[in-house]
This record gives sequence, C-alpha cells and structure tokens, in this order.
Amino acid sequence: MSFIWVLALLLTLVTSRSSGPPRTSARASASERIRSAAAVPGPPDRVALIREEHLLNIKLTTHEGRVVRFYDDLVKGKTVAINFMFANCREGCSVATEHLLEAQRALSERMRRDVTFLSISLEPEQDTPDVLRGYARAHGTGPGWYFLTGKRNDIELLRRKLGAYDLDPVVDADPTQHSGIVILGNEPKGRWKAISALSKPVRIRQAIERTILPPNEWPSGAAVVAEAPYAENEAVEPVDLSRIPLLRSTEDGH
Amino acid sequence: MYYLSRRDLLRWGIASGGAAALAGALRNSRGDSLPSSPPTTPFVLELLPGRGIPPVKQTVAPFPTLRDTGDTVNPDGTKPFHVSGPRTVPKNTAFYKIHTREVAHTFHPQLPPNQLWGYDGSIPGPTIVSRSGTPQLVRFFNDLPQNDPVGIGEPINAIHRHGGFQAPEDDGYPLDTFSSGQSRDYFYPNRPDEGLQQNEHSTLWYHDHSIDVTGPNVYRGLAGFYPNFNSLDTGNESDYPPALGLPSGEFDIGLVLQDRQFDKNGFLIFDSFDHNGFIGDKFLVNGLIQPYLQVARRKYRFRVLNGSNARIYELALSNGQDFAAIATDSHLLEHPVWVKRFRIGPAERVEVIVDFSHTSLKDEIFLVNRLRQTDGRKPDELVSLSQGTPLLKFKVNRDANDKSRVPNTLLPVTEGPLQLLPKVKVQRRFEFERSHGAWVINGEFFDENRINAKPKRGVPEIWILESGGGWVHPVHIHLSEFFILSRDGASPLPLEQGRKDTVLIGGDFGSVMILIKFAEFTGRYVFHCHNIEHEDMRMMGQFEVQP
Repeated sequence: MSFIWVLALLLTLVTSRSSGPPRTSARASASERIRSAAAVPGPPDRVALIREEHLLNIKLTTHEGRVVRFYDDLVKGKTVAINFMFANCREGCSVATEHLLEAQRALSERMRRDVTFLSISLEPEQDTPDVLRGYARAHGTGPGWYFLTGKRNDIELLRRKLGAYDLDPVVDADPTQHSGIVILGNEPKGRWKAISALSKPVRIRQAIERTILPPNEWPSGAAVVAEAPYAENEAVEPVDLSRIPLLRSTEDGH
Repeated sequence: MYYLSRRDLLRWGIASGGAAALAGALRNSRGDSLPSSPPTTPFVLELLPGRGIPPVKQTVAPFPTLRDTGDTVNPDGTKPFHVSGPRTVPKNTAFYKIHTREVAHTFHPQLPPNQLWGYDGSIPGPTIVSRSGTPQLVRFFNDLPQNDPVGIGEPINAIHRHGGFQAPEDDGYPLDTFSSGQSRDYFYPNRPDEGLQQNEHSTLWYHDHSIDVTGPNVYRGLAGFYPNFNSLDTGNESDYPPALGLPSGEFDIGLVLQDRQFDKNGFLIFDSFDHNGFIGDKFLVNGLIQPYLQVARRKYRFRVLNGSNARIYELALSNGQDFAAIATDSHLLEHPVWVKRFRIGPAERVEVIVDFSHTSLKDEIFLVNRLRQTDGRKPDELVSLSQGTPLLKFKVNRDANDKSRVPNTLLPVTEGPLQLLPKVKVQRRFEFERSHGAWVINGEFFDENRINAKPKRGVPEIWILESGGGWVHPVHIHLSEFFILSRDGASPLPLEQGRKDTVLIGGDFGSVMILIKFAEFTGRYVFHCHNIEHEDMRMMGQFEVQP
C-alpha cells in the first residue's frame, strides 16, 4: 500500500515537473532529474556501512570471563588486529600468535596502547574462558589482547563477514586454514586491510602502523624494507629443455 | 559462425540492467550474493574526446629535477644499483607534470556522480605518449585529500609504468610511496632494451602500485594508457613503407575494460574484506558503463587493456567478424593473428584491428564479453555470443579515408627462443598458491627484503609458473617481457606466441614455462599476481638483477 503511495507521489512529481513552465532545470541531465525526484541520497557513510555489513555485534566472552559485545566493546572507536585461532591448533595458530605477540611488543608504547588484539576461537566449545586464559598465559600475552569465545554460529558468521573464509567448502571446513590472516582495522577511519599472520612480525608491525597512521605519516622506502634482514631464497633447479614443444618440433622437422 | 538475432539485439538495446542479470549473482566476503547494482540503460553515453577518450598529455618546459629520493634499496647494503644524488637527465628529455586529484565522475547518467581519483582528474588518466629516442621525466603530484570522505583506497601513490624498461627507482616499487602534498619524479628512458628493434614497445599503461592498497586505489580510478611509437610503428598510417601503416590518430583508440559495483543509490562499492579478487556487475569501457562509439567504415586500431582488479574477459564481435590481433601486452606480434575471439586477463593487453569497411551505415556492432565470472577465483563458463554481455556498441555512422593496412609482418623477432635457449643456465619454479587464507609464492608471503631470484643481467632463464588449488592468477613480471615456451607441456596458443609481461596460470590455464632475460637495468624489481587483491595480500616476490 505504502509502495503505491510513493509511486503516485513520484509520478506526480515527474509529471508536474514536465508539464510546468520551462525552467533552466528543464535541460538538467537524466541523473539530476532522477536524483531530484526522490530525496537525494548522498554517498554512504563508509564507517557506518562497514559496521552494519561486517562488524557484527555478537556476544563473546573474554579469556578473563568478561561478557562483551564484539562491536560495542571491542572494536568501536579502536584500531584492532583480529585473528581466528583455537587453543588446540597444532599448525599455524601458535606461529600466528607468536608473530602477533612479537609485532605487538615491537610497536612503540603509544601505538601499542592504540591497538587492541582480538583472537577469536574457532572451536568455542573446547575453548572455554579457562582454556583461553591458559593459552594466553602460556604464550605470555599481556594487556590489550583478548582471547574470545562465544557461540559457534555467531563466530562462524563473523569469520565470513571479516573475510577469513575460503570459497572452496572443503578448505573452508578446515579451521586450521583460517588461522593465517590477521585483519587490521582502524574503525573510526573506516580503514581495513589484512595481512598474513605468518608474515614476519616486523611486516605485521609495519602494516599495523600503516593502519593507525594517516598515509602522510606512513614510513616508506628503504627504511621500511631494510627493517628485516636481507634474505635470499632462490628457487633454482636443473635446466630441462626436453619438455619444450618448440624444440621438439624443430628436432622432428629436421 | 553465430550471428545475433534481432531479438538478441533488442534485448541488449533496451534491457536496462541487462548486464547485471547476465553477469550472474556476485558473491562478496560473506560468500553470499551481493545485491545488484542499480539498473542502467546500456549505450546511452558516447565515447568522445574528453569523455571516455582521455586527453593526450602535453609537455611542459623543463624544470629542475629533484634529487633521487634514494628510496630503493641497495641489495647488498653497500653498492647502489641505481642513480643517487642529483638526477641528471639527457638534454632531449621531455618533461611532464601530472596532478593526481579528486574528480566527480559520472559513470552513467542514471547514477549520481562519484568522487573518484584521477591522474589530472581524468578517468582514465591522460594518455602519455612516448616516442623511442625521447626520454621522458614525469613529475607526479599527489594532490589527493588527506581525509577522504569515501574511504576507498588511501591517498598515497607509487606509479608503476606497466611493461616499461625503467630503473628500479622509477618502477613504482610498492614501498616507494609519496603522500598528499608530495611529488615524485619518474624517468623513462624510452629506448628498446639492448637497442634491439624487437624490443620496441607498443601499449604500456601506468597505474598505482602502493603497498597494501593497490587494489582500491586502482579501483578508484588510478590508471591510464602509456603507448609508444617508434620508427616502425610511427603513429601515422600514411607513412609506409618502411613504417607499418597501422591505423592512427582518431582511429587508434585505447579501450580499458573494468568492472565496478554500486550500492542502491549508485555509489561505488569496494569490499576491503574480500581478498578473493573484486568482481563487479557493471561493465565499464574507459570509465563509462556500456558506452557506444561512432565509427567510420574503415579500419581501427583498438588497444584493449583489461584494467579490472580480478575479472577475466573473452571478447568477440556480435556480427561474427574477425579481429586481426597485432599485439599482446607490450609488443607487436611478428605477424597478425586473425581470431574470432580472444581472452584477456587482468593487466593484459591485446591490440586488434577491426575493419568496419564491410559494414553498412547505421549498422550496430557490439563488443561482447563471453566469459561469465562471479568470484575472484576463476571464470565460471564460456557462454554463447548471444548470452554474453555487450560491453561497447559500435555505431557505423560515416565513411572516411583509410590509408592504413594490416601488414603481414609486424615486428620481426630476431632474438627468440631458438637463439636464447642454448644460453639458458638457470631454471626456476614459482608456485602461486593459496595458503591459510592468504596468498603465497613457493610457500612464502612477500617480504620486502627477501629476494626470490638473482638472475644475471643478459643471461636468459627458464621460469616455470604454477598454481595450485584451482585458483587463476594473472602473473606479472616487472622489467622484462618473456616468451611462453609451453603451457601444460603443449605449444602456447596463437596469441601467446609473442612476448608477454602478464600471463594467466591456474585453473584451466594450467602452468606455463617461460623464457625471460633481463638486460641493461640491474637492481630489485617485483613480480606478483595481478589479481590486485591477491597482490595486496602479498602474493608478490622479488628478483634482483645482478650486473
């Protein structure tokens, strides 16, 4: 019913416009006409859009046993580094935790205060707050870092919204595959990106700095590159010309 | 041969939002369907100089050059491989100034203007034309606002001239960024590598290459054409022989294909949480959604560039006509190749000559994309011509003189695989894979100070590029073009027998064996996946050319 009213209103607006006396706006472009027919919408508020689309306000429990809301209590107004893990994960999770810890320690004191680390369990039934507290203690994480558990469905949804998923359902079903990225966000600025948690800690730290700092303060050039030691990892193997069709056909031809 | 029925043409002509429907439902980082962009009536905007056909950049008076910023890193920490100190440029250098700034851009009259970023405020960027023998120095000013209200991309720049022979410090290394209020000089020598005629360039392009944010910055508009002319390909169709006589002037047109996604109000969407590769449901040619071009009954040279972040296209003409393909990526082919359709991955270029002389006035011919793709992993399927998406309509509206030709020989290769293979001493293998939700080469993420290869200058090498897990990757190697020796052990396709600087691997594309030689320049360069979301997620490696 209301739809018909809106339609009628729009029609009235359009017809009254076209039957009215000629005005300068009669030559307005199609876009101007379309936009003036309805209330003119502006570009979306990206921070609000990201909040609505990606930053679910799910209920979580910290390793300290505190019940929190993901958006309201952990992300809103903050710079965050988010990863997914589980305490019993033998493969990448521990490395990721170690790398994030090293990155956190290497941040300047001010920046360390600016960024909150959020590690969300993919096995929330096993990872009770107690288990996560034990994990945090074992890894020696400190303030500004929350290990989080909650309802599996909530966490699964959040994981997908934050882009920690795989298009291949078989790979997606393997939780160890989601331990590899850390999602970096400067919530008030709407600045979001991701980097592999298995990257060198210094690279994670630099990416965090680029998330906190405005671009005109980003460190650049050689200063950034040379912070990690120069390394070579050449992939050289014996030359094999036997599988080149061009050479085969040349030989065949002669 | 398949011709379109009148019904198909009508459907394309009048179906607003048809493209969205044909593109298939898109998935976002939730893995579920994205709402379609608002409907737009196809073929209402004409490609015209200044709207869709970017201006040719003009020179300015020479200005004092800046000191080399010294940003690029010396590989061994001691010996600089690049110029340092005050930069001296040859006397005949042409100077340019380009300001990267905000621009209110109209993709389509049914959508509101969007705040994009454009080189000189132009979408695509102004066309910078180079001529072999005339070096160029381009000062790029970053005039982007520090506080951007849109939030797609970051106001930071590194300019990469894609396909160019240029020193490491002029190559747009991802960490050699400059921010709002700063400028950076890029020097382009514009001579064929080793002075060999076979290395004369044809269509290069320039785009942003900043660490973390190349994907959104290019999506926001930071890309332009950089064609080259030389003694063979002169840019004047009437001066043959000895020149080639390819269609020139207003009949030589760059067409950059891109896809975009819009919200219900017509504002650009970019999903920073999607690392699969951004796919949109609106099809742009030179920044306009499904435009049209009025053409004369004669030959045209179209420099087709896939400037999309992740989408692959397969292009055909609606009347079943052939393309004469004359160039792939940065170089002319040895001989033209006549094809009914061709595939083009992100960052690849294919130049074609289309002859409209057999058409009738008022004919309408469509450039059609026959490849359906709904996520960044790989194309879904090749569809029939009538099921494809028309990207651009050619309206035949006049006659015009045509002195141009399609010569049987374009750019002879004097130093090809047969000459180079006996000199190969090194073979390398690079596996492009997905691992733990991110992207690796040989199991490793990009590290700014790790070198994956140290080729010796002037010595050809074989590289094997592989992909696992069903993902397609357009692999781009900076500094030098290469020959494809084989694809999955078989001879490369007809359009892959020329030089390439970007190559599709993975999925149905399989693996390739390439032959590459780095000549002249030494120092550090990157190679990476040109699905830009993969690149931003560190699917990048480095090689360091040794003297």
